[in-house]
Amino acid sequence: MALSVVDLRGIYTAYEGGDRPVIKGLSLSVDKGEYVVIGGPNSAGKTTLLESINGLVRITHGNAIVCGLDVAAHPHEVRKKVGYVLQNFYFDPFTPFTVEQVVMMGRYGRLGLFNRITKADRDAASRAMRLVGIEDLANNTIGTLSGGQQQKTMIAHNIAKEPEVMMLDEPFSNLDFRAREYLQGVFKDMVRGGVPILMVAHAFDWLPDVPIHLVVMNQGRISCDGNCRAEEVEEIIRKECSVA
Amino acid sequence: MFSGLKMLEPLISNNVVCYAVEAMVFASIACSILGVIISRMSLSSIGFTMSHAAFAGAAIGMFLETNAQITAIAFSMAVAALIGPVSDKAKMAADATLGVLFAMSMAVAIFLVSYMEYMGKGLSSSSLLFGDVISLYREEIYALAAVCFLTMLFVLAFYREISAIMFNMKMAEATGIRVKLVYYILLFIIALSVSLSLNIVGGLLIFVLLVTPASIAGQFCFNLKSMFIVAPAAALFVSAFGVWAGFEYTLPIAPLVALLLTVAFALSVMLSFKRRINTKIN
Repeated sequence: MALSVVDLRGIYTAYEGGDRPVIKGLSLSVDKGEYVVIGGPNSAGKTTLLESINGLVRITHGNAIVCGLDVAAHPHEVRKKVGYVLQNFYFDPFTPFTVEQVVMMGRYGRLGLFNRITKADRDAASRAMRLVGIEDLANNTIGTLSGGQQQKTMIAHNIAKEPEVMMLDEPFSNLDFRAREYLQGVFKDMVRGGVPILMVAHAFDWLPDVPIHLVVMNQGRISCDGNCRAEEVEEIIRKECSVA
Repeated sequence: MFSGLKMLEPLISNNVVCYAVEAMVFASIACSILGVIISRMSLSSIGFTMSHAAFAGAAIGMFLETNAQITAIAFSMAVAALIGPVSDKAKMAADATLGVLFAMSMAVAIFLVSYMEYMGKGLSSSSLLFGDVISLYREEIYALAAVCFLTMLFVLAFYREISAIMFNMKMAEATGIRVKLVYYILLFIIALSVSLSLNIVGGLLIFVLLVTPASIAGQFCFNLKSMFIVAPAAALFVSAFGVWAGFEYTLPIAPLVALLLTVAFALSVMLSFKRRINTKIN
């Protein structure tokens, strides 16, 4: 039996000040090497699910074990092992950080306090930039890049982390079809290497031809959780969302 | 233990001038370094909030007829300790929380100053607002030097964490960095710097030192490390010149330095190459 990297059992998640939970009694298991697509209508709780897994949002009930750690008890340790590409970000033109510095920041969590950056860290950052195809932009300040280049930088930032789980929230919204295809190849390799991918998406025409673990969410619950082929994803989601 | 420690005495024979320059040097460096951080984190209002918190604390000390500097430090720390939790609990932006705490501090200070004047205690609050670099004790200079050193040590020790937080706080948190810890240490150091500098350089100049040198650096620097060098250098140069001009022409030093920093900022905006548009076709 495959070892679950993400094991959520009956979790409820609520934001402070909210009058009701956003995630309600959700259970989900993700194994090594799985490609998970999370779909559903707006406000279904997809982003909240990702942020519950890495402890950015508080789980009020239930149990969440990620990479062998209890998320509620060790949120910082969990975040060191989980890559998370945020949905929205904007960097003004005068943001004083280069692409290389931003990618290297992905290593800071695992480095810890007072430890020096090593050659292994620099190599990981260089590898991540090469993998994503932004090594020529290393010395450019991030605010001067296009939206797509900034998105690639944030993906490289998380790849440099060498995560045990990779979560992406609509990572292709600013990317052209060539960049999407290329990065899907990168994610396929990660999955083959045992790193599960959890991706929130609204468009599915670019999904790779690998078995997909499809999770459809609606109103804070999972309405469908199963395996399918890439070409079936959109149809299943449409069906689930129109039934709910 | 440090009574024999010489700093600028070999260079400046006049003790009064020497102490004033030393005080300005340490206050400038500490506040301008912190200013680089708070300007990127959109916490510029922390400057006037903390300076007024120190002002309120000093007023409490005067009211209780105890050491005003200690009460200034204690009250600043208390306000600094409230910023994070109040923002979190009240779900307010940090700037809004700072506004509330600023108003509270100002109210406490004005209430006590007015009450003491009414009671005939004849309290003068001008030194808290405008500072007094003329009559300084050696221990005050040492305390400022220690805070300046602590600030530099904080930035060096936590440079990676600080830079990640300044880049994007949520991303820093998602990376596994202990954002709250670094944030609270930052607030503590700001509180300490402001409260120790308050009666020396005054609340007015503290706020200017927290905001303006970083803004000057921002006009020319494209990366963070250079901002951490240019901001204190600009503050140091202008402050030293202001102290000299103040003594030379018998002018109030702290307001003069504040004005000079503002002029320096205006010049930096005019001269900044960040605003140039390359109109070359080839």
